[in-house]
Amino acid sequence: MGENASQGQVIVVTSGKGGVGKTTTVANVSTSLARMGHKVVVMDLDIGLKKLDLILGLENRVIYDIIQVIEGECTLKQALVKDKRFPELYMLPAAQTRNKDDIKPEQVQEICRQLRPDFDYIFIDCPAGIEQGFRNAIAAADRAIVITNPEVSAVRDADRIIGMLESANFKDIQLVVNRIRPDMVKKGDMLSIEDLLEHLCIELIGVVPEDKNVVISTNKGEPIVLSEHSLAATAFNNISRRVTGEEVEFLTFEDENFWDKLKNRLFSSR
Amino acid sequence: MLDFLKKLFSGDEASSREQANSRLRLVLTHDRLGSSPQLMEILQEEIIEVIARHLEIDGKPEVKFISEGRHTALDISIRLKGR
Repeated sequence: MGENASQGQVIVVTSGKGGVGKTTTVANVSTSLARMGHKVVVMDLDIGLKKLDLILGLENRVIYDIIQVIEGECTLKQALVKDKRFPELYMLPAAQTRNKDDIKPEQVQEICRQLRPDFDYIFIDCPAGIEQGFRNAIAAADRAIVITNPEVSAVRDADRIIGMLESANFKDIQLVVNRIRPDMVKKGDMLSIEDLLEHLCIELIGVVPEDKNVVISTNKGEPIVLSEHSLAATAFNNISRRVTGEEVEFLTFEDENFWDKLKNRLFSSR
Repeated sequence: MLDFLKKLFSGDEASSREQANSRLRLVLTHDRLGSSPQLMEILQEEIIEVIARHLEIDGKPEVKFISEGRHTALDISIRLKGR
């Protein structure tokens, strides 16, 4: 760990539990960073269950995949899919007809070694679980972002993942709480950010509220950060800025006027 | 009837958020240590056994975890009978 300054950072996005929003976070944070002008590549390591191409809306542009790169059927450059909307964004697709055991950690390290000089940020979309796919995904990473939902099973899995990252000597582990519902927290029916931080004891890098616009943008294959009037888009944009080291205040959902204002903005924009 | 409705709506029960927190506290402690509630009972019994060999114990000893960050300590409190 710890590369020289001219080399890109490798960031693994992981969660333990599936369905908490890893791929959505990777897609949005990377799109947002690319829009800010950073050179970004996203690597889908969910071999056999790929989703990133679909969430990014790049599914029709995939020609080669990471396994073909590893097996020498194509070069790394040939396999990288360029996002036409953002000249700085590239994706390295997963293979759909293979499985996690077809890659070894050293091969992921080698690919990252080749990518580092050309990119500012290399995001790795980690598969759910704690098996081979997880070991592959963390092998080359300098830092980790753990995604969880305010829900007991997701928190338990996140805690296990954090423990494993600590055992693997990760010093830089940050938390994204996805799909929080401030109204439910207020009523005492959902774990709050403070609760999650008390349990998991790691630094917070993002809070993303539940937002139906995420479903809509996923349907279209357009990352939600491209839409202006969405709370989730603001939240993902803020995460991207914090990834670069910028200090950004967290959205407060407590202030009802703020909520109402946003709601009004949302409704009037439709 | 009124009491029943009050109970139903105000809820004498802890909120679901509080329940989630207390369940998580316990399960995360055991997950991190690779322990279990059963192990706690065994520990309690065995500790009492050792102490009782030498001293007279007053009441039931308390064995619980205290957490600081991601680290955990075992807190054992045993009251002893004086002569």
